[in-house]
Amino acid sequence: MKWIASLSIVSTLLFVAGCSNHQADDGKVELELFSNKAENIGTYQKLIERFEAEHDDISINLYAPPDAETLLRTRLVKDDMPDMLAIGGSAIYAELSQAGILVDYSGDPMLNGIQDAYLSMISELEGPEQTGIHGVPFAANANTVIYNKQKLDELNLEVPKTWDDFIYALETAQSAGEIPIYFTFQDAWTTMPVWNSISGVLQPEQFATKKTEGALTFAQTHQEATGKLLTLLDYGHDRMYGIGYDDGNRAFAQGEGLFYFQGNWAVPEILTTNPDMDLGVFAMPTTNELEENKLVSGVDVLFSTLKDSEHPDEAAAFIEFMLEEEQSEQYMAEQAAFSVLDGVLSDDPYMSGIRDDFAEGSITSFPDHFYPPGMGVENMVQEFMYRKNADDFLNRLDREWDQIQLRF
Amino acid sequence: MKSRQRTFLLMTIPALVLFFFFHTFPLLQGVFYSFTNWRGYGEWDFVGFSNYLNVFQDMRAWSAYGFTFQFAIVSTILVNIFALLIALGLNAKIKFQKTLRAVYFLPNILSILIVGYIFQFIFTLFLPQIADFLGINALATNILGSPDYAWIGVVIMAVWQATAFNVILYLAGLQTVSEDVYEAAAIDGARPWRRFWSITFPMIAPFFTINMVLALKNFLMVFDHIIALTGGGPGYATESISVLIFRGGFEGSQFGYQSANAVIYFIVIVAISIFQLRVLQKREVQQ
Repeated sequence: MKWIASLSIVSTLLFVAGCSNHQADDGKVELELFSNKAENIGTYQKLIERFEAEHDDISINLYAPPDAETLLRTRLVKDDMPDMLAIGGSAIYAELSQAGILVDYSGDPMLNGIQDAYLSMISELEGPEQTGIHGVPFAANANTVIYNKQKLDELNLEVPKTWDDFIYALETAQSAGEIPIYFTFQDAWTTMPVWNSISGVLQPEQFATKKTEGALTFAQTHQEATGKLLTLLDYGHDRMYGIGYDDGNRAFAQGEGLFYFQGNWAVPEILTTNPDMDLGVFAMPTTNELEENKLVSGVDVLFSTLKDSEHPDEAAAFIEFMLEEEQSEQYMAEQAAFSVLDGVLSDDPYMSGIRDDFAEGSITSFPDHFYPPGMGVENMVQEFMYRKNADDFLNRLDREWDQIQLRF
Repeated sequence: MKSRQRTFLLMTIPALVLFFFFHTFPLLQGVFYSFTNWRGYGEWDFVGFSNYLNVFQDMRAWSAYGFTFQFAIVSTILVNIFALLIALGLNAKIKFQKTLRAVYFLPNILSILIVGYIFQFIFTLFLPQIADFLGINALATNILGSPDYAWIGVVIMAVWQATAFNVILYLAGLQTVSEDVYEAAAIDGARPWRRFWSITFPMIAPFFTINMVLALKNFLMVFDHIIALTGGGPGYATESISVLIFRGGFEGSQFGYQSANAVIYFIVIVAISIFQLRVLQKREVQQ
C-alpha cells in the first residue's frame, strides 16, 4: 500500500505546483520562488516557514524541479516566469539579465557589505553591452580538492601548496599503492572541477570577452592548462571513465583515493555515506607561485526578482529576510556553503583549508560560468580526458565558440 | 447517402482541426523561426538562409547525424532479426504459448527512461563486477564511459526494449498465413528452411516493410534512451539529432538555429521513409 500513498502524495504535489500562480483565496500574497538547486530544498523550506510565520500575509511557493535551468528556459519561451529566482551566478544569470527581465539592484542598500569579488563577477556576467547588478548574491561555492586526511597522514604528507608539492604527493601515493586521484569522468560535468581549477588560474583576465571579440584563442592561451591536465591523468584509476558523481562520492567516502576533485557541495554528500570520514579541502595549487594560486569560487545562489512580478515589495522583504544574519548562518551551516558577506567566514571545520583564501580575497571566478551556454564545453573536456589530444580539443573549443556567435 | 457523407465529414473535422492546431501550425511556426535568429524570447531578426548554411558547417551536427544513422541502422536490423525469430517461436505450437507471449511483450510496457536507468546500473556496476569476478579485463570497465563503445550500450538497451512491439506485428502477420500452404509445401517435401524462405517470409512481406519503416523512423528520433543512459556523452559520442536540437534549442537558447536543424532533419526522415516504402513494397508478393 506504500506505493499508493506515495503516488497520492506526488499527485497532490503536482496539483499544488500547478496551482502555484493563482492568488490564494484568503487574501494572502503568493510568491513563486524558483530555485535551480536540489540540494538545498530542505533548508529553504525551513527558512520559508519561519518567514511565513513572521509575515502572515505572504506565502512563498518553492519550486525546485530537476533540470531546472532547461525548464526555466522553456518557461521563458512561454512567457510564464515566476516572481523570484534563486539561481547561480553563471551563464543562466547572464542570459536572463541580458534579456532585460530582472530588477536592477545597483545602488540598493542590500548590496552593501557583499565582497567586491562577487559583485564584480556578477557585473562581468552582464556582458559588455549593459551595466547593472540584477541579483543579490547570497551564497558562494568553491571548487576544491577534497582529501582524505587519514591517508595523507599515513603517507607522511603535508597539504600541498605548490604544483611540485602536489605532484610529489601524487607520486608518493602511487608508489604506496593508493589511488592518487579518484577521478569521475562518466558524467560530463564531473570533469569540470579539475578543468576549472586549472584553467581558472591559468587563463588570461577577461578571457571570455576577449575570446568573443576575437583577440585571443584557446589554442594560444590554454596549452599550459591542457599539459597539466594530461599530467594529472596519469594519477587516476582504472575505472575513472565509467564512474559518475554519485558513485564517485560513495567510493571516496569509503576510502578510495587520496584526492578528489569536487566542489564544497560534494562534502555533505560524502559525509552522508560515511559520517566519520576525516576529510579536508584545499585550493588546487596550479602553479609554483604561491600568490598566483587562487581559490576558484563563484556565486552559488543569488536572489532576483522579475520586473513583471506583481509583488515586488513582498519579494524584497523575502530577500532582506534571507540576508539577515540568523537565516544566512543557518543556510551556510546546513549547506556547507560560504557567505558572500565581507568578513563573515565559515567556521565549518571541514572547510578550514580554504578559510584563508576567503579571508585574503584570494579568489578567482569559475571560467565555465562565462562560456556561451549550449556550447557543451563539459562534453568537450570529457572527450579530451579520454582522447588526450590537446590540439584537437583546443581547436574544437575555438571553432564551436566562434560558430555559436553566428547563431544570434 | 448525402446525409451519411455529411455525418462522416462532421466526424473527421474535429480531428482535422485539432491536428492542424497542435501539429501543423507549430510545424509551420518552426519553419518560420528557422529563418530568424530568435533565442526563444525577446527580439529577433530575419536572417535568411544563414541558419541552414551554418548547420552544414556545424561539426557537432555532423557527428550527431553520424551517430544517429549508425545507431538507427544497426538497431533496426537487430530488432527485426530478433523480433522475427521470437515471433516464429511464439507462433509455433509450444507449451505456455500465451504466457510466453505476455512475457515477451513486457519490455514494451515499461517506460524507456526506467529501462534506461536500470541498464545504466547494469553497465556501471553489475557487468564490471561480473567481469572482475570472471577475470575478463576487457569488460571490467563501464562501456558507457568509452566514446568508442558507448553507442553499443545504447543499441543493446534500445533493441531489448523495442523488439517486443515488432514481435506483435510479426505475430499478427504470421497468423495471416494459412495452414494449407504449409501442408501443400510439406507434401511437396519442402524442408523447414525452404518453407521459411519460400512461403513464410514472402507471405509476411508487408509486415516486414512496415516493421522496417516504423523501427527505422523510431530509432532515428531516439531521445529518451540517450537521456537516461549517457546524456549524449562521453564527449558528443552518443548525441542524437533530437538530443542536439533539444540541448541547443533550450539549454543554448539557439531556438532559430535549431529550428533550421529540425526542418532539415524532418525532410531527411520523410525522404528516407518514402524511399524505404518504395523499395520494400516492390518486393512484396501481390496477394
